[in-house]
Amino acid sequence: MRGKLDQFQKILLGVIVLYSIFVTIKNPAFFSMETLFDLIRTSSASMIVAIGLLVVMISGGIDVSFMAVALFGSYTTINLMISLGINSLVFAFGFSALLGLLLGLVNALLINWLKLPTFIITLGTQNLFHGIMTTFISDKSFGAGVLPSCLHGFGQAVLLKLPTENGSTALTVSLIPVALAGILTWFLLYHTMIGRGIVAIGNDEEAARRAGFRPFFLRLFVYGYFGILSGVMGIVYTAQNNALYPNKLVGDELMVVAAVVIGGTKITGGQGKILGAVLGTAIIYLLNSTLILIGLSSSWNNLFVGAILVISVAVTSYQERIKNRNHLIFTE
Amino acid sequence: MPVKGLHTVLVDSFLALKEGQEKQLSVVLEVKNLSKSFIGVQALKDISLTIRAGEIHCLAGENGCGKSTLVKSISGVYTPDLGEIILNGHSYHSLTPVQAMHEGVQVIYQDLSLFSHMSAAENIAIGRLKFENRAFVNWKEIHRIAEEQLRKIGVEMDLTRPVGELSMANRQLTAILRALAQNAKILFMDEPTTALTKKEVERLLHIMEDLKEKGLAIVFISHKLDEIFSVADTITIFRDGEKIGDFESSELNERKLSYYMTGREVEYPRYHRTRKETEEILELRDLGRRGQYENISLKVRPGDIIGLTGLLGAGRTEIAMSLFGLNPVHKGSVYIDKREVRLRSPMEAKRHGIALVPEDRFRQGLFIERKIKENISSAILDRISTRGILNRKEEALTAQTYVDTLKVRTPSIDTVVGTLSGGNQQKVVIAKWTAAKPRVFIMDTPTVGIDIGSKSEIYEQIHSFARDGMAVILISDEIQEILANCNRVLVLAEGKEVAFLEEEDLNREDAAERLSELIGGQGGQKDETGEVVL
Amino acid sequence: MQRIKTIVLEDLNISILTGVTLLILLLCAFAFGNSMYSLKNIQSMAFQIPEFGFLALAMMMSNLIGGIDLSIIATANTVAVFTALLLNGSWPLGLDGWPLVIAAAIIGMLISLLFGLFNGLLIARTSAPPIIATLGTMTLFQGIGMALTGGSSVGNIIAEFAELGKLKLLEIPFIFWLFLLAAGILWFVLTYTAFGRSLYLYGGNSVAARFSAISNERLCISVFLITGLLAGLSGLIILSRVNSAKVGYGDSYLLQTMIVCVIGGIHPNGGIGKVQGVVIAVLLMRVMSSAFTIMSLSPYTKKLIWGFMLLLVLGLNYMVSVFYEARKRKRERKGEGV
Repeated sequence: MRGKLDQFQKILLGVIVLYSIFVTIKNPAFFSMETLFDLIRTSSASMIVAIGLLVVMISGGIDVSFMAVALFGSYTTINLMISLGINSLVFAFGFSALLGLLLGLVNALLINWLKLPTFIITLGTQNLFHGIMTTFISDKSFGAGVLPSCLHGFGQAVLLKLPTENGSTALTVSLIPVALAGILTWFLLYHTMIGRGIVAIGNDEEAARRAGFRPFFLRLFVYGYFGILSGVMGIVYTAQNNALYPNKLVGDELMVVAAVVIGGTKITGGQGKILGAVLGTAIIYLLNSTLILIGLSSSWNNLFVGAILVISVAVTSYQERIKNRNHLIFTE
Repeated sequence: MPVKGLHTVLVDSFLALKEGQEKQLSVVLEVKNLSKSFIGVQALKDISLTIRAGEIHCLAGENGCGKSTLVKSISGVYTPDLGEIILNGHSYHSLTPVQAMHEGVQVIYQDLSLFSHMSAAENIAIGRLKFENRAFVNWKEIHRIAEEQLRKIGVEMDLTRPVGELSMANRQLTAILRALAQNAKILFMDEPTTALTKKEVERLLHIMEDLKEKGLAIVFISHKLDEIFSVADTITIFRDGEKIGDFESSELNERKLSYYMTGREVEYPRYHRTRKETEEILELRDLGRRGQYENISLKVRPGDIIGLTGLLGAGRTEIAMSLFGLNPVHKGSVYIDKREVRLRSPMEAKRHGIALVPEDRFRQGLFIERKIKENISSAILDRISTRGILNRKEEALTAQTYVDTLKVRTPSIDTVVGTLSGGNQQKVVIAKWTAAKPRVFIMDTPTVGIDIGSKSEIYEQIHSFARDGMAVILISDEIQEILANCNRVLVLAEGKEVAFLEEEDLNREDAAERLSELIGGQGGQKDETGEVVL
Repeated sequence: MQRIKTIVLEDLNISILTGVTLLILLLCAFAFGNSMYSLKNIQSMAFQIPEFGFLALAMMMSNLIGGIDLSIIATANTVAVFTALLLNGSWPLGLDGWPLVIAAAIIGMLISLLFGLFNGLLIARTSAPPIIATLGTMTLFQGIGMALTGGSSVGNIIAEFAELGKLKLLEIPFIFWLFLLAAGILWFVLTYTAFGRSLYLYGGNSVAARFSAISNERLCISVFLITGLLAGLSGLIILSRVNSAKVGYGDSYLLQTMIVCVIGGIHPNGGIGKVQGVVIAVLLMRVMSSAFTIMSLSPYTKKLIWGFMLLLVLGLNYMVSVFYEARKRKRERKGEGV
């Protein structure tokens, strides 16, 4: 049960392994630590928000404003750091996370108040947040030269260095926030009452209320938590790219939703695993970085991701439907 | 004989002691002059009630008599308009669910309120952990709590499986264990036996006796007379939101109880088939679907009202769904007018003249936000339109006709269905399918949760359908309903036919008892893994 | 008077909407005068409305059955790519001039129907939630377009096709007529046909629709066929106006279509709403966009305003419904016994 792999994750792992073998046959250079480290580096920012989105989806909602939140948090923080001359990683992460938390709470309040599909509400806040940031804060771009040096340092910092034939390859520090987010979320979901409450409202909100949970506060927590992770993600992203533009990130949120759904998370709530979200993100980034190795340009990326997503949605939904029909449950 | 004398004395004093104890049984709950009304309906009228520890108190009454409203007022779901609720000596005008839990009120709702993707153990323990305001979850403790509850009532169950995969009986058990885990002082059980086999019910009743011995107050809500008598110490009868009275179990018999519940001595008029046709409209030959039912054969003639009865999950709804094209069969065949038909969708079923009033009125039967006329025309859109264009005059006309026929009480056919009472809503569902002029009309528990007036009007209507030559299949587990309406009854248990009663069987004195015996069935219900449970 | 009152109340949403639209039109007249209401500007608005209008109608159809179709813009762009490839001779059909235009347009529409069918089958046969299913097909359709073009725009199409985008009938653009025609047909279908009725019923309660012998599968597939066709037509209009096709064109339309549907009174949970509302909302949206252009607002500020507007309208709708419920309850309490 808990901790062990379920059927769906086994299939995902199988797909990853088979695809990797296929790529290796086509291009043996693929099979190296370098590839792995590269994958970890490029996917780490998305992994953080994928894990956060998983929590939201387990609670029975969805959020498409997180990229705007991430951008809002990191952009505002960096703006402040540059103008005040602050050069502290702790401040960067802390302040960005705080802003994320606040925006997340705004989402939660609106969702609680309007009781409408969370997709529509967060689509509204996505534009609202992004618009407020660019209109009232700033819409300048920050290139490599102007960013606080601590961020550059974080982006370049290395955990582990391995020698390779042509030089060396390194595992970047960005693994740490991902691992922290993963462990924290795992602990939250499986070892705290709040986490079990989140699963409970995703299962059946009315039953959760009867058991004494308070959906209002849980939702505040869920969207607030996701806001914090988004804020952190914004800083990780900036540090890695060593630049920040006011039109980045926003628009990429659906890819993360796709990753979490590929990972077996149900939009109907109550179900979803951290490992699934991680594997889903990994598949997307694996495709992203290896299409060239098998002789296709990166513009084929969406085709493959779309196909995988469609197949995964079709298979899981169909299984659910068969199961429901056998129990004479009709959902549509 | 001093020895015997001593013995007598001892026994006497013991009895006296016991009596004293009984008198001292502490009052857990006192309800004083409680009233609650919803839009236009007075659901509770000036109710007063006392419930003591260590007793099984039964709330009896027809559906819609106010039992559930009372329970929800006590558990903090509803806010009463007037009155007082005293729990363990603390007086409340209204409670929050959390307050109710702190006072030891536990309710097992009919829907059980379980989390289907969580394990049984977690379902059992989570309420208690939440109640204790825990911040963290310790899975060992969860299993310890769950196993402790299992030991309390001495049964076995797999606690690691998700509740969604358990049998109905084990889900019921999970809900009880959850209540026990929270140190319930007063346990409300809302119709807990609906989906259980006789053996499982007996086990459940035994568990209830056991809990009562341990000092728990159990409030048992039911409309099944035999169960009420087998466990209840005190019976409170409700009718139309009013309390009729408190009775000791020994003061009542089934006849009296039923009289108090319904307010009438005579039962509903019996149906007798008058049609002369002997050719059947519908025939099922050896019908079967894996995991649901097998070897079902049945012939239905015009004017027949066939009762299809058995417990929930015995196969009755499953067969109905198959006939309506929503549950494909794996074996056997269906004949209409002696011609074999394939029923793969409700559209095909409709084409062959089969209609279904489904079990779940809100989800399956009604478009709650739409007008009466739109509901009534929903199954005949093809008939009242020419070349795809809806004929609105005909729609209104048809709707008015069937609103009149079925005596739907409404200001107009433009009224939104959601604003009608339960009985009138159900009449709209029936009207919808009557408008389609079916030849075989299947009704799945059509009178659940509706008032007595509407009930008898619906019965009259069913009788008149049959007299006009329709074939009716009536699914029900209410014995009185079956006896009043059916001229033949097919009893199912675990997906198999256990008996087929002809009219003369149903006319016998002991028909009710026999039916109840048959419905209860023998043997435990099988879990999905095949292990017999409870 | 009483009659008017009933009509206004019957369609509270559309009444409010019409009032607000008139108010904004007036405000614009005061603020911008001729720069807004010159024949030229009105015509230019009429040229800009259809591509967005068709997408809004497509979104409306999916909303009416309680789903959100995320794939409409991807459909529009990819259909435009296909058609452009036919029109610039990359995929020779052996035709030229108007016959080529007609053949390419028909093939473009067939492809959009195909995309719609794919959505419909996926959702109807597997019971997948529409939003997630169309997230998948959105990525897939985009992917097809990307794989075909490598992300660059496809231009060089024959001149005749672009003429369609510039053509005027009675001083009104041909494509605007097309939009009015489509809206008119949808209005008729939704209001007067059995199909329209079953669509509303399905949107209100799809399970009850199934139990009323309405063919859910067929209905769902039909709706997505219509959605696909409307989106594809929008793609053709974009192609004729912009003279090229590119994956990723008009991404901001997704939010705007949803705003237009919400403002137009389409309930996102399905079953409630009318074409008229959406058409008025589309006009309103265009006038506001035009005003923004005159005020030369940055795209970011527009984003802010659109986002704010969506939430504002949702909030207002919510408050109106709460107020309405309360009134209804009061009225019922007065006239008890119903």
